[in-house]
Amino acid sequence: MTIDERARELTPPTTPALRLRGISKRYGPVVASDGVDLDVHHGEIHGLLGENGAGKSTLMKILLGLVKRDSGTILRGEEPADITSPQEAVALGIGMVHQHFSLIDALTVWENVILGDTGKIDRTAACRQVEEVSRRYGLPIDPLARVDRLSAGERQRVELIKCLRRDPSVLILDEPTSVLTQAESAELFTVLRQVVRTEDRAVILISHKLAEITAATDRVTVLRKGRVVFHSETSATTPQELARQMVGRDVSLRAEGAALGLLPVDGGRPADTGTAPDTALDTAPDIETGTAPDTETGTASPAPGVVPALRLRDLTVTVDGVTALSDLSLDIAPGEILGLYGVEGNGQSVLGDLLSGLVLPTSGTVEVGGRPVELDRPGALHRAGLGIIPEDRHSSGVVLDMSIAENLVMKSLGDVSGRGFISRRKMYGIARRLAAEFNIVAPSMDTPVRSLSGGNQQRVVLARELSAGPSVLVAAQPTHGLDVGAIEDMYQRLQDAASGGVAVLLISTELEEVMALASRIAVICSGRITGVLPTGEATAERLGMLVGGVAA
Amino acid sequence: MSAADDISTILSSGIRLTVPLAFAACGEYLAERAGTMNISLEAMMLGAAFGSVATASATGSATTGLVAGVLIGLLIGFVHGNLAHRLEVNTFVVGLVLNALVLGLTSYLITISSFDSHQVSQVSVPWLRDIPLIGHPLFVERWPVYLLLLVIPLTWWLVERSRWGLELRAVGEQPQAADVTGIRVNLRRRQALLWCGALAGLGGAYLAVGEVGSFNQNMTAGRGYIVIAAVIFGAWRLGRTLLGCVLFGLADAMRLALPALGLTMNSQLLVVAPYLLALLAMLVFTTRNREPKALGQPFVRGST
Repeated sequence: MTIDERARELTPPTTPALRLRGISKRYGPVVASDGVDLDVHHGEIHGLLGENGAGKSTLMKILLGLVKRDSGTILRGEEPADITSPQEAVALGIGMVHQHFSLIDALTVWENVILGDTGKIDRTAACRQVEEVSRRYGLPIDPLARVDRLSAGERQRVELIKCLRRDPSVLILDEPTSVLTQAESAELFTVLRQVVRTEDRAVILISHKLAEITAATDRVTVLRKGRVVFHSETSATTPQELARQMVGRDVSLRAEGAALGLLPVDGGRPADTGTAPDTALDTAPDIETGTAPDTETGTASPAPGVVPALRLRDLTVTVDGVTALSDLSLDIAPGEILGLYGVEGNGQSVLGDLLSGLVLPTSGTVEVGGRPVELDRPGALHRAGLGIIPEDRHSSGVVLDMSIAENLVMKSLGDVSGRGFISRRKMYGIARRLAAEFNIVAPSMDTPVRSLSGGNQQRVVLARELSAGPSVLVAAQPTHGLDVGAIEDMYQRLQDAASGGVAVLLISTELEEVMALASRIAVICSGRITGVLPTGEATAERLGMLVGGVAA
Repeated sequence: MSAADDISTILSSGIRLTVPLAFAACGEYLAERAGTMNISLEAMMLGAAFGSVATASATGSATTGLVAGVLIGLLIGFVHGNLAHRLEVNTFVVGLVLNALVLGLTSYLITISSFDSHQVSQVSVPWLRDIPLIGHPLFVERWPVYLLLLVIPLTWWLVERSRWGLELRAVGEQPQAADVTGIRVNLRRRQALLWCGALAGLGGAYLAVGEVGSFNQNMTAGRGYIVIAAVIFGAWRLGRTLLGCVLFGLADAMRLALPALGLTMNSQLLVVAPYLLALLAMLVFTTRNREPKALGQPFVRGST
């Protein structure tokens, strides 16, 4: 730390770049923001930490003029600011890098960068500006490239360039690393440090990842249920304390730790016991014995001699002329949890769609219990004994406007109907039993699924899929958007399913999640498996290289 | 009559039948790039055709009638835009209702009124009109035809080169992203519908006070739908869309010319021919992957 930096920390700047006072916003009965106070200073990275639904995004949308606040004031320097549109936010020097939805795929880089400006279009000048910003921050990009041809990391660069070109004094980043590899995240934080230290801007970093917050921020504010519950300099607190504040109770469980990104993955092994998660091993003790990790071919088999419950053979899928999966092969044994890990957008969602029966492969086969499945027949996967928790539960997991009972029996209508009529008595019977068994909290079985929390919606999906008695369960990003309690519950259920002999394919972008649950980890990059490792041999470095497409 | 004369005649009527389609196509193309599948194009053309004839009769000026047609197109675009992109009524329902309303209204009004015939004047370009075969069809036309020479490049420039067009394209592709970037999605879509209304109005009015000089019941006869087909046929590119219009225009001309050429065919079947052609052309040439991603989808802030 240089003397200048120390001096800056010891004498906090007199006027914060941005002050929020008593910001409140409610959506009907739901309080999204409840009297939030927040000070953000020049020259610091301010971490905004909270679970999903804690009100982080609402707060930032208010700052950006996308959501109208019910009450409270925003002070920009000494002046009160009334921000009602993104343009006004830009004029006040507030810029945001959005988590999703802010680049137009069909436009080029330079067109995206100038979108939202006013005045005549000057293509040459725009390209020059893109190149200037790109050089200044070390973010190489071709201004003439179309955005839909770019990787997730490159898109993030475009977002940053778009934002920095407008020279904001306050820069907001919403979950910026969720789609990035570790190398790309490192690049991002290098840029942020430059932005803060040498250019004296203020940065608000929104995240639910503790490791990121403790490593990158100078000051941290924790939100829970729309309120500020904790505020501190980052150096004066600990990850444990932050986790406790974020969840509202002590966090000790391993699963919770994983959910919060607390596992010391940088040290190599997630735990020092040398064993992978216990339940999976208890029921399938022979999984790792005698199996040399075959990372070269990427087809490490779970155990010789055992018929895999799910066998994917040379699956190739082409979507709109782009190869989404190429020659993907995986075997999963009964009772095993296999984690398929990779950065978002490397073919995982296509694999999920394929195993839901939404996409057909151009070549390759899927075998369940040793028998090939005729993928072009609707419902064939379900009949073969494959259950799936789809990645996007709203579009393919549940029918939001139908009741809990209807959603629960949707895939087994034969069991509740006779002669073409549904027996409501039987349907409610099954629904009540499943709701009790899976802890689905709802006023009644007639409640539309739309009005349930994310965790309860996910339990409806899980209950329906497991009640069919599958031999294979595919869980695609099963904890996306859930709060810590629901995540913990989901982990427990997946482990229980595995101990019951179900082969579980866990598709996840969270390293901590696969480390905590899976006995083997397969890494996917650009639609191909770059390696399969027993969790015991998986280190952050090896996985990081595989994720980047380099054989470890 | 020589074969050259026959070709010249067919070309001539083909161009006249293409012009109203081409005006409307420039409008529909722009509206669809902004994400509105504008079904009410038919209402815009038909309403404008009626309005132009009524105004021309009242004022004695065909040009005033033409202007009135544009205004009626604008009015229908304004109504559609506000219903679909402010009050969030389903855009297809709005379009169908407007089409039925205008068809019924104009059919009624024409039975209770009678109009004098007015037609805009003809322009004949010296020397060029003497080129054999194409000289007469291309260079002896009613003057609004030559407005196309302005409207087509202007539409292209607006969409591809202006900031407004860049924002329209963004809105038609990913409205959520456009919104967080600070573009007023529904405002842009309403504006695109106004442009569409004005041009469809011009096309409908040209049909009435340019070509025919009078109004008869349902005189557009589904030309609005043909134009929507042309935009799909053109895969949301202006050049190909206009090519589609020429194709349909020529097919229509053939229908009129065949009996004169001594070919006898079932006349009902001939009337159907251009529409069948439109259907076949879409079947064979349509490429879906260039479709604006948010075409026909309403934008409501906050929903994803």
